[in-house]
Amino acid sequence: MINTLRELRAERGWSQGDLADALGVSRQSINALETGKFDPSLPLAFRIARLFGKGIEDIFDDGLGHMKKAAE
Amino acid sequence: MAEVTFREANKRYRRAFIPVMVVYTIAVFGGSYLLKQFETPPTWLAAIVALIMAAPVGGVLWLMWRLSRETDEYTRQQQMAAMAAGGMITAFFSVVWGFLELYNVVPSLWTFLVGPIFFLSYGLIYCIGRRSFGAGFEK
Repeated sequence: MINTLRELRAERGWSQGDLADALGVSRQSINALETGKFDPSLPLAFRIARLFGKGIEDIFDDGLGHMKKAAE
Repeated sequence: MAEVTFREANKRYRRAFIPVMVVYTIAVFGGSYLLKQFETPPTWLAAIVALIMAAPVGGVLWLMWRLSRETDEYTRQQQMAAMAAGGMITAFFSVVWGFLELYNVVPSLWTFLVGPIFFLSYGLIYCIGRRSFGAGFEK
């Protein structure tokens, strides 16, 4: 899954460790999320979205979003 | 599932792990010393000593289980994958060795070694998995 976590974090000037602390997860988790090696659970995705004040779909893209928009 | 952060979960694990290991060391050395005081230790005493020696290992397994429940989901995914792989390697090794033993190809294996084989394979898989694939190495 593609995500904009790295960009959002950079905008705020946070390190991976800062974000990890804010979410209560390991720094390795953040790295795995940013590199697309790991997809978060729904509760963690909600926590991330709330932290950045955005919707889940604004941060995470499963690559099918454009198909939905095209169908609409 | 308890709501603790990754750091708190690790702290809780380390805080409990060290005393359990101290108890294990005391039990192993103390138990061996106690049994050596008898020419032929009574079976009931030997059984109690053996169970006391084994109990902290059960404690460590429980701590590993608790840590896997309390840690973050990414680490949990890695640990569960490594535990499953370690268990499967141990089971497969036991079956292979069992058949070889059945036909007298290899000597009888000390059952005691099953535990260390599991912990060793679990640890190796965890380290190799993290190093090679980074994430929950099912991908």
